[in-house]
Amino acid sequence: MSVHRSVTKHQDGAPRAAAFYDLDGTLVDFNLVHAALFIVGNLAEWTGRAAYFGGFLARVPQLYRAEQHDRRLLNITLFEGLRGISLDRLRALGEEYCERVLAGRVYPQARALLEGNRAAGLEPVLVTGSPDFIVAPLARELQIAEFAANRLRMSRGLATGRLIEPVMAGSDKADWCTAWAAARGIDLRACWGYADSYYDLPFLSALGHPVAVNPDRRLRATALNRHWPIVNFKMEEESAALSLTALIKNWLWSGGNGATGS
Amino acid sequence: MARPEAKIKELRTADLKREPGARKDLVVTINRRSEPRLIPYGDQFLSVRLPVGTRVIYPPPPLDDLPDPDTAIRYALLHPENADPLFAQLNPNMRVTIAIDDISLPLPQMRRPDIRERLLNQVLQTLADYGVDDVHLIVATSLHRRMTESEIRRMVGERAFRQFWPDRLYNFDAENRAELAMLGKTDHGEEVWLSRRAAESDLLIYLNINLVPMDGGHKSAAVGLAPYQSLRHHHNPATLRDSHSYMDPTRSALHRSADRMGKIVNSQLNVFSIETAVNNRMYGGLLDFLHKNEDRFTDWDRTRLAAMQWTMRNLSNDMRRQAMYQYASPYGMTGVWAGETEAVHRNALERVFQQYAVPVKGQSDILIVGVPYVCPYNVNSIMNPILVQCTGLGYLFNMYRGKPLVRQGGTIIISHPLRDEFHPEHHPSYVEFFHRCLAETTDAVELERMFEAEFARNPTYVHMYRYGHAYHGVHPFYMWYWGEPARQHVGRVIAAGCEEPNVAARLGWESADTLDEAIAMATADHGSSATITYLHLPPLVIADVE
Repeated sequence: MSVHRSVTKHQDGAPRAAAFYDLDGTLVDFNLVHAALFIVGNLAEWTGRAAYFGGFLARVPQLYRAEQHDRRLLNITLFEGLRGISLDRLRALGEEYCERVLAGRVYPQARALLEGNRAAGLEPVLVTGSPDFIVAPLARELQIAEFAANRLRMSRGLATGRLIEPVMAGSDKADWCTAWAAARGIDLRACWGYADSYYDLPFLSALGHPVAVNPDRRLRATALNRHWPIVNFKMEEESAALSLTALIKNWLWSGGNGATGS
Repeated sequence: MARPEAKIKELRTADLKREPGARKDLVVTINRRSEPRLIPYGDQFLSVRLPVGTRVIYPPPPLDDLPDPDTAIRYALLHPENADPLFAQLNPNMRVTIAIDDISLPLPQMRRPDIRERLLNQVLQTLADYGVDDVHLIVATSLHRRMTESEIRRMVGERAFRQFWPDRLYNFDAENRAELAMLGKTDHGEEVWLSRRAAESDLLIYLNINLVPMDGGHKSAAVGLAPYQSLRHHHNPATLRDSHSYMDPTRSALHRSADRMGKIVNSQLNVFSIETAVNNRMYGGLLDFLHKNEDRFTDWDRTRLAAMQWTMRNLSNDMRRQAMYQYASPYGMTGVWAGETEAVHRNALERVFQQYAVPVKGQSDILIVGVPYVCPYNVNSIMNPILVQCTGLGYLFNMYRGKPLVRQGGTIIISHPLRDEFHPEHHPSYVEFFHRCLAETTDAVELERMFEAEFARNPTYVHMYRYGHAYHGVHPFYMWYWGEPARQHVGRVIAAGCEEPNVAARLGWESADTLDEAIAMATADHGSSATITYLHLPPLVIADVE
């Protein structure tokens, strides 16, 4: 049978199965809007921060509609707000965001799960709609070698605000996993997938062992209907409070102290 | 001071002579004038006219409750078996752990106050009187699901809950390596692990309920407070195949193994066991007719039955399940003993058999059992196909001493709708076990070899066990092994009234739309002179087969 999986490895030592993880809301207690606001809030001059922040405020209705209907559109709309920021600045802020916020907001149980799955022979892979300049440092922190993230199209070193296709959302996540597994001779039926949103349904459905993590209402209903495991990760209350404080501080009073200049 | 329950035996003997359902009448043979029999069918009851000549085994009537359970408990604590009284073992500086049986007992849940609440109140009062402050209460779940806050509150009562929850009253966690201690190995090489808190206590008090004879004794602490590393030594196909039956501890390899491990525990810890026995008053009030011989139904009984069946038919599956779980049984305590584990358990076993045992002559070709809506592993949950298998082949087949009710190579007919339904929060690994593992093989030894270790260590299932309310990842394997003696013994299993034949096929069973059709299929195999036995539930009964 082909459904055997996990602990055994190929002769070359490569795992025979993988565990695919969504990031925001699944492994880490954050969301894309939070990340985008951090970046905008840490731009160099207060005038620049105000302009970008105003741009985000103007997009709020659009973002809300996108959130309700289409995750892909949400990603596209959100990243339009980063137009004009330089690549090196984005990378620096991504590193900083990871170090100051994300690293402290990884669910403790998620770390244990990652380690457990790794020990069971499942290669960890991040599949997320977050931008690569945020995902890359976090993947390093979590010792995850493989990830798929959204990439901003750059022009002359500046972000154009557009995303390089395929946009990591919905069925494109599933397609990426399928191609990634096929290239390595891995059977997706033996792979595990973890995600938190109903928009990740195609991604979860493509895998043999889907798991709903902190699912939203619609994903929970689907998981119950399909007999998928549901797990709930929680942050320590204190840590969450500290992080929120840090974010507000960055927005309001960084004044060049909270972030390195571009 | 005489034991409060001393008169029970005499009273019951007198009652049994008077009662129409006296023990000598507990094996009834169906004739042409016999009424249809009630057969559990998941969360409903079928009313079926059984073939003439079918032998129906009824449970004995309930033993009398102890007239004053609290006094009986006090007496037991003051007059323990082969041990000093509880108060004499206490000093203010000691560390005490109280382990408590979990929600898997009794079934259905009993009316408040739960026996455990009564026991706890007395024990905690004694500890308080002697100034013992370092007390932890651990629900001995082993690899069962964590009980919820409300379930624990209902079980232990307000007083203990308010005083100890959540810091000093909690579920056992078999996956918290830091909280486990290895006590040693038995002469059979079995590793004995235990809750570290219990192992490092000056006194371990175990509060038990004996619903059936397989409960209690060394199986309490050595299993209830033990992790996978210990359980794998007896929860495996080889050990369970050598158990004849689970309800007869003297002939059960499972119990022999648990006894060996329990002796290691008792040699290193000061264990004070408190065991109780309950009667079989599973249904009372408007539902008490369920215990009766159908031939003796009155018009009032038939009216209540019709009303119950109509109501159940017209409820959705979920609502029916909810309604059933709201019911609490009026179980009564028939005995309580305290002290040294083995001496205490001998007394409890005697009382339990006094309640359940029915003498039966000879085996039959066909055994009919009805699987109800609840088993020890789906309280407030869903009876999934693996648990139907465990209840039918594991528990009900094993309701015997001496010889099984069905002969070698015979047929078991299991009445249950057998739906492809699982509770994703409580039984996540069951889903994979059913759809993936059983798709490959139904052979318990192969399943153990191919998949058990993987499920036992699966990080997602471990997480759901530790932080959610899931049974441990390895639990479905144990449920499958539980049916192993029956699979080795019988030739055929037919699911009667099966709504999803592919589910029965996955279990390795045949399916029939109705019980009549199932009986016809079985008699086609065994001939028209095949002997048939129906083990009548509720409540429970144990056949002493000669």
